[in-house]
Amino acid sequence: MLTVKTWIVQVLFLLLTSESIGELVNPCGYITPESPVVQLGSNFTAVCVLKEKCMKSYHVNASYIFWKTNHVTVPSEQYTVINSTASSVTFTNISLSNTQLTCNIRTFGQIDQNVYGIRIVSGLPPEKPKNLSCIVNEGEKMRCQWDPGRETFLDTNFTLKSEWATEKFDDCKTKRGTPTTCTLSYFPVYFVYLEVWVEAENALGNVTSDHINFDPVDKVKPNPPQNLSVSNSEELSTILKLTWLNSNILDFLILKYSIEYRTKDASAWSQIPPEDTASTRSSFTVQDLKPYTEYVFRIRCMKADGKGFWSDWSEEASGVTYEARPSKAPSFWYKIDKSHSHGTRSVQLIWKALPLAEANGRILDYEVTLTRWKSRLQNYTVNDTKLKVNLTSDRYIASLTARNTVGRSDTSVLTIPAYDFQATHPVTDLKAFPKDNVLWVEWTAPGKPVIKYIVEWCVLSDRAPCIPDWQQEDGAVRSTYLKGDLEESKCYLLTVTPVYADGPGSPASVKAYLKQAPPSRGPTVRTKKVGKNEAVLEWDQLPVDVQNGFIRNYTIFYRTIIGNETAVNVDSSHTEYTLSSLTSDTLYMVRMAAFTDEGGKDGPEFTFTTPKFAQGEIEAIVVPVCLAFLLITLLGVLFCFNKRDLIKKHIWPNVPDPSKSHIAQWSPHTPPRHNFNPKEQMYPDGNFTDVSVVEIEPNDKKPFPEDLKSLDLFKKEKISTEGHSSGIGGSSCMSSSRPSISSSDENESAQNTASTVQYSTVVHSGYRHQVPSVQVFSRSESTQPLLDSEERPEDLQLVDNVDGSDSVLPRQQYFKQNCNQLETSPDMSQFERSKQVSSVSEEDFVRLQQQQISDPIPQSCGSGQMKMFPEVSSADAFTGPVTEGQVENFEAVGIEAMVDEGMPKSYLPQTVRRGGYIPQ
Amino acid sequence: MLTCLCAVLWHLPAVPALNRTGDLGPGPSIQKTYDLTRYLEHQLRSLAGTYLNYLGPPFNEPDFNPPRLGAETLPRATVDLDVWRSLDDRLRLAQNYEAYSHLLCYVRGLDRQAATAELRRGLGHFCTSLQGLLGSIAGVMAALGYPLPQPLPGTEPTWAPGPAHSDFLQKMDDFWLLKELQTWLWRSAKDFNRLKKKMQPSAAAITLRLKAPGF
Repeated sequence: MLTVKTWIVQVLFLLLTSESIGELVNPCGYITPESPVVQLGSNFTAVCVLKEKCMKSYHVNASYIFWKTNHVTVPSEQYTVINSTASSVTFTNISLSNTQLTCNIRTFGQIDQNVYGIRIVSGLPPEKPKNLSCIVNEGEKMRCQWDPGRETFLDTNFTLKSEWATEKFDDCKTKRGTPTTCTLSYFPVYFVYLEVWVEAENALGNVTSDHINFDPVDKVKPNPPQNLSVSNSEELSTILKLTWLNSNILDFLILKYSIEYRTKDASAWSQIPPEDTASTRSSFTVQDLKPYTEYVFRIRCMKADGKGFWSDWSEEASGVTYEARPSKAPSFWYKIDKSHSHGTRSVQLIWKALPLAEANGRILDYEVTLTRWKSRLQNYTVNDTKLKVNLTSDRYIASLTARNTVGRSDTSVLTIPAYDFQATHPVTDLKAFPKDNVLWVEWTAPGKPVIKYIVEWCVLSDRAPCIPDWQQEDGAVRSTYLKGDLEESKCYLLTVTPVYADGPGSPASVKAYLKQAPPSRGPTVRTKKVGKNEAVLEWDQLPVDVQNGFIRNYTIFYRTIIGNETAVNVDSSHTEYTLSSLTSDTLYMVRMAAFTDEGGKDGPEFTFTTPKFAQGEIEAIVVPVCLAFLLITLLGVLFCFNKRDLIKKHIWPNVPDPSKSHIAQWSPHTPPRHNFNPKEQMYPDGNFTDVSVVEIEPNDKKPFPEDLKSLDLFKKEKISTEGHSSGIGGSSCMSSSRPSISSSDENESAQNTASTVQYSTVVHSGYRHQVPSVQVFSRSESTQPLLDSEERPEDLQLVDNVDGSDSVLPRQQYFKQNCNQLETSPDMSQFERSKQVSSVSEEDFVRLQQQQISDPIPQSCGSGQMKMFPEVSSADAFTGPVTEGQVENFEAVGIEAMVDEGMPKSYLPQTVRRGGYIPQ
Repeated sequence: MLTCLCAVLWHLPAVPALNRTGDLGPGPSIQKTYDLTRYLEHQLRSLAGTYLNYLGPPFNEPDFNPPRLGAETLPRATVDLDVWRSLDDRLRLAQNYEAYSHLLCYVRGLDRQAATAELRRGLGHFCTSLQGLLGSIAGVMAALGYPLPQPLPGTEPTWAPGPAHSDFLQKMDDFWLLKELQTWLWRSAKDFNRLKKKMQPSAAAITLRLKAPGF
């Protein structure tokens, strides 16, 4: 925009400053050349000449001139000041095609003024036109074309020139849009040589092509033959006659023809041999065609000498050859209904409609003839391609012919054997394979001469029954392809039956696929058995509908969650596989793929977990352990039994039998030399220096009822006095914490009581362990009435002492608890039980103090407890240090009770059995 | 003007002849000339039909066969068979050449009179073809080494529509021109066919002679 304004200002300035106002434009100078056309790559010089008046007005000379190209100042190195009025500029190697060049002056005050401007056009001279060729479409003027060569960047005119030796014809100027072709203005004269050439011309030069000299008739492209028509012949069903109209050019030219034809459905054309149509004609008979077939024809022509151009193809014309009698006998086969009743069988005769190529016309009907041995013929005329007849069990001969308007085909003969006929001689080596998108079947012929083969096939599917299609092959055929519409990925069952003169042979079958595909789905795998380190997988064969091909193998993929997948290939005949080397107690994921020749398909994933132990492993561990335990126990028992004397000697010290003592030496008044404490120290020594006197009343039976009573009382009052029994038992059987208690108790009581009391304690303990029957106890107790009055204070005292002692109280509670709650609440926690007991204990002890209780009471309770000790002991093992000692005691008591049960020899019982204590 | 043009045409053979085939001998050019006569026959057939229709009845009627009146200057193609047979090649070619020279001149006169553009175009093309035939005959004569016939003084075609000619007579002249053209083309076809046949054995002889040194 600014440039335009500047330009306008400059022009106005020039106008105003021009000397002659009358002239519209009177420039200050001019450039020569005025409108140059420069060849690309060449040098160009322009000169700007200033006018004298102008120079004076502006006080400038040629040195003030500067040049601009397309508004860009040209470097001053390219300027040459010729004289005071003229300056030139030189450009080398011009490459721009269109340049605006201006001559300017810089006047006083640094004002630039445009003096003159020109436009430099650059380009190239035309190249020599090449490949000049001409064509004469019949009835039209001649048209020539050529290759113009390189781009010139300039307006280039092409002129087509033509002449005879005697005459020049009008030039043909190309039109702007089509510089490479031109149509002459006159009709060409045939048979007279014409010389033609092209001249190309632009501002930078002109050039002429090579001259070509030709007879225009040799450039003729005739019009195609017209009105092509086709007619057939009733006499010959294999010919068709073509007729057409030639163009007028035929008057002075000889033509040749090209005729092509095809059947209506085909796409490829066949050509009539060119030598048959090498001269002018207007009709032609095509031979060796198929009868009753529609053919399509087309024709074109050109000069017979081959000079010139082929015409376009004529319009297509079609015709149908005449009918002929069927050329082949129809394929013929039969099916027998299996059921055979009342001496007849239902036979369906089937045949194939002849293909059009063999029917040679429209089939009107089929004629079937059935012949039975020594029987009249049965004739049938059928329009369909099947016929159902009822035949007897005899052998029949069936024959079939097809009929069209011209005649009838050869006869197909088929032997339907008798009912009891046994088919033999099947074909061997039957194979089927796909090739070239069809399914081929081949076989080895049986040894017997074969009339024909019947090939049947059907799709094997679980969803639909096998509906066979069939075809017939000649007896000499050893391989054929199935001529039906076969589908891919379908399993076909092919059956080939040879047909002999006396009837059909045994069929042979084979399965095949036209094209296999990967299975539609994979097999579903599952575990049959899972072991610690192995798993037996099983699966079902894929249904034939999803196989899509022959299953060649299976691949089992299995993996743990974190592990890599392992693949195992399994033969397709298997339906079971054992995975070994699995890790126990692990989740496995397994899936399975079935592979055909074309690929595989995965089935769903199945997960299973291997067990921690193998089957029977637990039993294998537990049973031996139990057996070992049992054995050890048994051995222990046996040992104890065998060594009972020794054990007894250690556990039950040999208490001297008072009955065998000498009365003379026994003094009841002799005070004990030392305290009866502790017993353990006393027993091992086996010295019984202190002898107590036990006074036993002869009344043995009395205590027993009292025992029972006391037992009841015990239960009722919930008072445990087994402190004695326990203490006694503990001290007698095992050395534990108990003896210390009892010893301390006894230690105190020993000073206040007579030695009889101590003795009775010993007796009581030993008695209880040796003879755990109530009767024995009662009898043992029965020795006590004498001591009753003496013993009671000890008991009371014991309780009193215990009252302030923490260690004794829980023990009592425990016993009480066991006695009471054995049935009621075995699950109650020890804590609750202790609380219960503690709440009860005080009043119980108070009662105890008031109660006159005999020893049998706690013992009876204790005997009941003994049976349950082993069970309770573990549960109560955590009750604390106090009860711990008790537990040990109880266990010991239990075992000893068991071991000593029924032991005949014991110290006190002996005494008792003998009728109690015998005072001496 | 037309006279001048005809005079120029008469002297046309002075310029180089057409269809010269150089080393191949006169055979191909004779064949070309023969084909050209056939081509001109073909052209004339369609042209005559159009032109006679243009002339109108009775000239376009199939059985119109008027006596030859007027057009005496037209060269006659009809000749006695014996005379024709007695002609040698040079004379025969010369007669053809002379005849077509005159006929061409008259046809150009038709061109001027023709009313419709299509007819003018057809006549123009025919004239060009006829000119080509003339050149072609000249070429054959040159190939055979015969000199072109020189026009005798006073025999230049002076055919021109004069005021004495009525319109009908004018049309009659045109009719006879077309008719004479056709006859001449037939005759020329015969002439060149004869010449062609005559030339072929010599070509064969040349072939034989060329092969002879081989023995």
